[in-house]
Amino acid sequence: MTELLIETPVREPQRIRGLEMPWNRVMGSTEAPARAARALGPWHPQEFMAECVETIPEAGGMMTLVFRRCDGAPLAFRAGQYVNIAFPVNGEEHEPVDRSYSLSSSPTEPWTFSVTVKRDPGGLVSPWVHDNVRPGTVLDMLGPVGAFHLPDADRRARYLFLAAGAGITPIMSMLRTIHSLPGTANVVVLYHGAEAGGFAFHRELAYIASVDPRVKVFYALGDRGRPEEWEGFSGRLSSAMIEEVAPDANGRQVYACGPEGYLNTATELLKKVGVDDTSIYMEFFSGDRKTLLEYQAEIALASDIAEEIAEEIADSAEDYYESQPSAFGLYEPGYDAEGTLKASGLPLEIVEPEAPSSEAGKGTSEADSAAPSPDASSFDTVGTGSLTLSFMRTGINVRIDPEEHILGAAQRAGVRIGANCKEGMCGSCKVVKLSGEVEMNHQGGIRKREIDAGKFLPCCSTAQTDLVIDA
Amino acid sequence: MTAPVHQPLNARGKLASSLPAEQLAEITELFALRRTGYSLDAPFYTDSTIFKIDMEAIFGQHWIFAASTAELPEPGDYVTVDYGPYSLIVLRNDDGGVNVLHNVCRHRGARVLTEPTGSTGNLVCGYHSWTYSPSGDLIHASAPGETKFDKSCFGLKRAHGREVAGLIFVCIADEPPTDFDETSKIFEPYLAPHDLSKTKIAYQQNIIEEGNWKLVMENNRECYHCDGHPELACSLFPTWGLTEGLIPAHLEEVWDRNKQAQSSLEERCRRYGLPYEVVEELDTRIAGIRISRESLDGEGESFSPDGRRLSKKLLGDLPDFRLGRCSMHLQPNSWFHFLGDHVITFGVFPINEHQSLVRTTWLVADDAEEGVDYDLEKLTYTWKQTNLQDKAFVELCQQGAGSPAYQPGPYMKSEYQVEAFINWYVQRVQEHLA
Repeated sequence: MTELLIETPVREPQRIRGLEMPWNRVMGSTEAPARAARALGPWHPQEFMAECVETIPEAGGMMTLVFRRCDGAPLAFRAGQYVNIAFPVNGEEHEPVDRSYSLSSSPTEPWTFSVTVKRDPGGLVSPWVHDNVRPGTVLDMLGPVGAFHLPDADRRARYLFLAAGAGITPIMSMLRTIHSLPGTANVVVLYHGAEAGGFAFHRELAYIASVDPRVKVFYALGDRGRPEEWEGFSGRLSSAMIEEVAPDANGRQVYACGPEGYLNTATELLKKVGVDDTSIYMEFFSGDRKTLLEYQAEIALASDIAEEIAEEIADSAEDYYESQPSAFGLYEPGYDAEGTLKASGLPLEIVEPEAPSSEAGKGTSEADSAAPSPDASSFDTVGTGSLTLSFMRTGINVRIDPEEHILGAAQRAGVRIGANCKEGMCGSCKVVKLSGEVEMNHQGGIRKREIDAGKFLPCCSTAQTDLVIDA
Repeated sequence: MTAPVHQPLNARGKLASSLPAEQLAEITELFALRRTGYSLDAPFYTDSTIFKIDMEAIFGQHWIFAASTAELPEPGDYVTVDYGPYSLIVLRNDDGGVNVLHNVCRHRGARVLTEPTGSTGNLVCGYHSWTYSPSGDLIHASAPGETKFDKSCFGLKRAHGREVAGLIFVCIADEPPTDFDETSKIFEPYLAPHDLSKTKIAYQQNIIEEGNWKLVMENNRECYHCDGHPELACSLFPTWGLTEGLIPAHLEEVWDRNKQAQSSLEERCRRYGLPYEVVEELDTRIAGIRISRESLDGEGESFSPDGRRLSKKLLGDLPDFRLGRCSMHLQPNSWFHFLGDHVITFGVFPINEHQSLVRTTWLVADDAEEGVDYDLEKLTYTWKQTNLQDKAFVELCQQGAGSPAYQPGPYMKSEYQVEAFINWYVQRVQEHLA
């Protein structure tokens, strides 16, 4: 039997511009069901317990541990962040030993999460992890932590990911995240490993690169010999290698993760090919005393915040979850000034559906909080009708019927509102409505932006409710 | 030459036809006697009648640059553009297009909109509240007791408007020149990748130069004087306008650096599919143009002392900051620099024969944040300095043109684009007067 291969032209997917994390949209939502999805937002670190549900051996002496939170909640984080885990390496009766591991899974699959641990034969914790953590193992964790992560929204979304050895773990999370989302990202991964068979995730990387036209993956061996069949790069990271995989590195955001020596070299080389300092984000998997102290401080800060929030939840869980978006600002990367650890996620913008624009001058909300305003109940009331117009500056209440135009009633009562066409065209009677609803049939005398800002034309408007008017 | 001081600009006929025959003959002869390769005779820079002819034959007949999309992004946004005796309203309409209206109330001629920029619904004249729709129709004028008042006869006068690749052009001629379409096709592919529709104004500078508009344009067309621009010389190769064989000894080293930078820029352009070739039709078409993408010195990214980016947000879908500058010159009143990180537009709006408004606008990506992605002082420094130096040069020439001792001098080889501008100008006016 002959196998028939039918070649169908591959069409580029129609994608949205740039990249946007799913929680970005959730922030602006006020509808109850969508608000529930706020649990996905990476607001702040928490202390929680998680149960291992799977272990997956990886190439290069690494092992992926899949967890789920014991409380059933999803783990909200940003791709690139890490968790700090307490391992009882000396038994349950002794103090556990803390280690931080980058999350390798994508936050778009938040019900389980993974860390990938490289076995360091001389180490205290990693061999214990490889030998002891099994499905059913429950561990104390703190997270998410870290300023090294993808932005929440990026209209340009052009990245160069540099990874050496186990440094691939946060990069893998970023790549999985981008792959799982729509958007016009453009990603180049350059992955350095010590030996040809030692590239963790290489099969998944090959798969993603083969099905996702946004992603290109390159491999490089260090300088420790290269097998004959090797098709990737060899030698240490160099500017020529960067130029070759990403000739437009200059215009990309670079995320690099690996040991200190590798990252220090990368910093120099990136500068050489024209990458701006502010476009480089790094995560150190080894480092000098200063770097380690910075990470310790980062974890300590995360721990304080987790504690604070736990208390708030204990006091009033309902209030706390209601106010979650505003709590977001609590946890910002604390190391920006230092430079090297910086990864600035764009701050989430909280969209207030009816925020008065600056043009409004006095929008509804501002008026409410404004300095003592006269009390309309003390005003004289004139006219007849079922509704009341309160003119705050004139200091008069005017009764009006729902079908009557506001301007006429106001002018008869002595409110000074300039007007010309009286047909909604010239806009000369424009005033600000402090509260209430009107129906307006204008003819171009007012702009949507002005209406959004609380203005209306009384010449062509009728009252639908009682109104408070700044006139 | 004796020009009458109060020559009325006849609204219906041409100024030329209303000039006394003698004076017209004198002016026509001045154009005919223009010596190729030499600067113009003094009256071209100082005479009010020639200025009026310029307004009619050049600014009254051609497409001129008015503003960029970023200056009127939303429906109702407008800019008013004044030049010579004219004032135009350029207004973003609800359909996303641009309406161009003469800013002259049809009642008694008052300026309808008095602010340089703003946002409006209908247009209301401040004098007697005549109200016009955004397309210029008179929709309201209080007329108690009037019986024969027909509003439809008194709409604002309209002019033509075009928006190409984020640049807005206006033309007040009844029938605008049609070759602007071809010129648009030349420059659109160069500009489109910078996506001006997603930019915002970082800064706009208006300076009044005490000089005839032609001196402003002439000065911009050559870099012979670039020793006078120390800030600009850091990023712009001072060999600009020169070709092999014209390089003075002190610039040979720079020339080599320039050539190398240019070839690496061209390689980048080919990789990204960006056009870079020089198109130079300054005086061979009605909508004269010069456009090219050229390398910058240093890092080759922007107009900074070391050539590095001045805004950290790339424009449009550009993949790379190192794209030099795409520069365009359009007859009669504009030039532009499109870089990876920002765009600068320059518009020249004549005021009278010895004064011109030069409007410079710096545009950055609309999501670039001042103080975070760019430092306004640094962004604008080079061209603010350069503009001031240019203003001084133009004013020196204007002073010279006013001296009885002034005599036209030769344009040097590196000033061939100045000659092309003047040649274009002379041809266009002669054709109009014919």
